[in-house]
Amino acid sequence: MTDAFIELRGVRKAYNEGLPNQFWAVDGVDLMLERGRVTLLTGPSGSGKTTLLTLLGCLARPTEGRVRVAGQDVSSLPERFLTEQRRHNFGFVFQQFNLIRGLSVLDNVMLPAFPLAPPHGALRARALQLLGELGLAHRSDARVEWLSGGEAQRTAIARALINDPPVVIADEPTANLDTHLSKAFLAIVERLKDEGRTVILSSHDALVAEASIVDRIVSLRDGKVVG
Amino acid sequence: MLFHPAIMALLLADALTLILLLPAGLFALRLLRHWDLNSGSARQIRLERQTYLVATVLGFVFAVQLVSLLLLVFTADRLAVQFVGAMCAVGTFNVNPFGFPALFLKLALFFLASAWLFMNHVDNRAPDYPLTRVKYGLLLVVLPVAALAAVVQVRYFLGLQADVITSCCGSLFSGEKTVTAELAGMPPLQAMIGFYSVLGATVLGGLFALWRRRGALVFSALSAVAFPVAIAAVIAFLSLYIYEHPHHHCPFCLLKAEYGYVGYLVYLPLFVASALGVALGVTLPFARAATLQPIMTRITPRVVAMATSLFMLCMVLFTWFSWRSNLVLLG
Repeated sequence: MTDAFIELRGVRKAYNEGLPNQFWAVDGVDLMLERGRVTLLTGPSGSGKTTLLTLLGCLARPTEGRVRVAGQDVSSLPERFLTEQRRHNFGFVFQQFNLIRGLSVLDNVMLPAFPLAPPHGALRARALQLLGELGLAHRSDARVEWLSGGEAQRTAIARALINDPPVVIADEPTANLDTHLSKAFLAIVERLKDEGRTVILSSHDALVAEASIVDRIVSLRDGKVVG
Repeated sequence: MLFHPAIMALLLADALTLILLLPAGLFALRLLRHWDLNSGSARQIRLERQTYLVATVLGFVFAVQLVSLLLLVFTADRLAVQFVGAMCAVGTFNVNPFGFPALFLKLALFFLASAWLFMNHVDNRAPDYPLTRVKYGLLLVVLPVAALAAVVQVRYFLGLQADVITSCCGSLFSGEKTVTAELAGMPPLQAMIGFYSVLGATVLGGLFALWRRRGALVFSALSAVAFPVAIAAVIAFLSLYIYEHPHHHCPFCLLKAEYGYVGYLVYLPLFVASALGVALGVTLPFARAATLQPIMTRITPRVVAMATSLFMLCMVLFTWFSWRSNLVLLG
C-alpha cells in the first residue's frame, strides 16, 4: 500500500460542457501523489497543467472520475466541505500571487487564517515568524503594491503556509522571476520538502525541471499524462 | 371564494409544490436506479452534485408545506363566518366531503415533510452521502401524499359554496357513531390518566435518552403515540376546561380570539415536539454509516432535548388550563 496523499482516478474536466465549444482540459488522468515529495507538472501551454492543479487542490471539481485527498473522496463535495479541505490541507501560491492590494504584507499573510479564528496574538507571531524565515520581516508593514516581484512571491509563500498545510501548490512560480530569484524560490521549496510537506508545482521552466529537489515530473499534453 | 387571499396562497403553495416535486420525483427515480458511489462516471458525479440542488428545492417546498398546514387551519377558522351553521373551522371543513380529508392529508404531509427535512439535514452534514438513497426513497413516499393532498385541497376549495348550510362542531362531537364523538364521550378522568401516562412516559423516555445517551428510538416511538393521545385529551377534557362548558369538545374553537388563541399555544409545541420525535425515529435506523456517528451523537441529544422540553411544555399548559378553569369535572 502506497502513502498516496492525493489520488486521481480517471479524472476528466470539461469546460463549456454540453456546448459546441466544449473542451476537455484534462482528459483521463490517473495519478497518485505521495506525501513529502516534490512533483512537477510540466507541458506546453494549454496542456492542462493549471486545470490539473485546481483539481488537485480542490479549487475545481472534475466532470468525471474521482479525486481523493487524504483518503476522502472530494470529487463532488459541495463548497463547504471543499473549503474545509482547502483550508486544512492546501496552501496556494498563484502565478500572479493574488495578494490583496491596500493591505500590508502582514495582513495578507494572516488573512487565510481568519476563518479558523486562532488567537490573534499567536497568529500574528506565526505570520511574523514565517516572514522572518523568508527574509521579509523588515517589510511586514509595507503595502503589498510596494513589493518587488521576489518579495511579492515570498509574501505569497508565507501566506500559503500560514495554516500549516501539508500540501503546497504553486502554479508557474518562476514565470515572473529572474534566474537568481527562481533559484531562491527553489531553495524555499527544498526547505518545505525538508519540513515534510508535499509540494506540487506546475512549470515549463527548464530551471525547475532540472532542479535536484524535484522527485517526480509528470508531463502533460492535451490534457493527458504522457510521461 | 377562490379569490380569498389565504385560499390563493394555499393553492399557490400546492401548485408550486407539485411543479417542483414532480421533476424531483423523476430525479429520485433516476438516482435510485443509477446511484453508485464506487463509480466515477460523469453520470454519478452529476447525480451527486444535483442532489444538493434538488434537496435545496425540496427543503423550500417542504418548509412551505409545514406552514401551509397552519394556514389551512387558520383559513378554515376565519372562513367560518361565511357559512350558515359554521361556528369554527369544523363548520368550514364540513361544507363539503373534501374538507376533513384535506386536513388529514395535510397533517400526514406535515409529518412526512418534517421527517424528510430532518433526514436531509443530517445527510447534508456528512461528506459521503450516507442517507441520500434513503431520503430520495422517502421522497417517493411523500410525493403521492403531496399530490393527493393538493388535489383534495383544490376539490375542497372549489366546492366551497356560501349557500351551503353546514354543521357546527357541536354535531361532530355529539352522537354515538363517530370517532370524534367517542373521544368526546370518553370520561375525563380516563383521558387524563391516558394523557399524563403517555406524555409522562415520553418525557421520561426523553430524559433517559439524554442521560444515558441511548433509547432515542424508544423516545421517538413514544412521541408518535403522544401526538394522537394529546389530541384525544384536547377533545376529551382540555377543551371542556378552557370553554368552561361540560359539553363543548371542539379542538378548533381553541384557535378563536374568544379563547385567547390558546389553541396555537397548545398545538404548536405539540406538533413540533411530535414532528421532531417522529423525524428522529425515521432517520435513526438508517444512520449507521461511520461518518454519521459523530453527527448523530451531536444532533440526537439536541433533538431529544428540544422535543422533550416541548412535551413538558404541553403537559404544563394542559395542567395550567385545567387547574385555573372554573369548571369542575372531577371530584
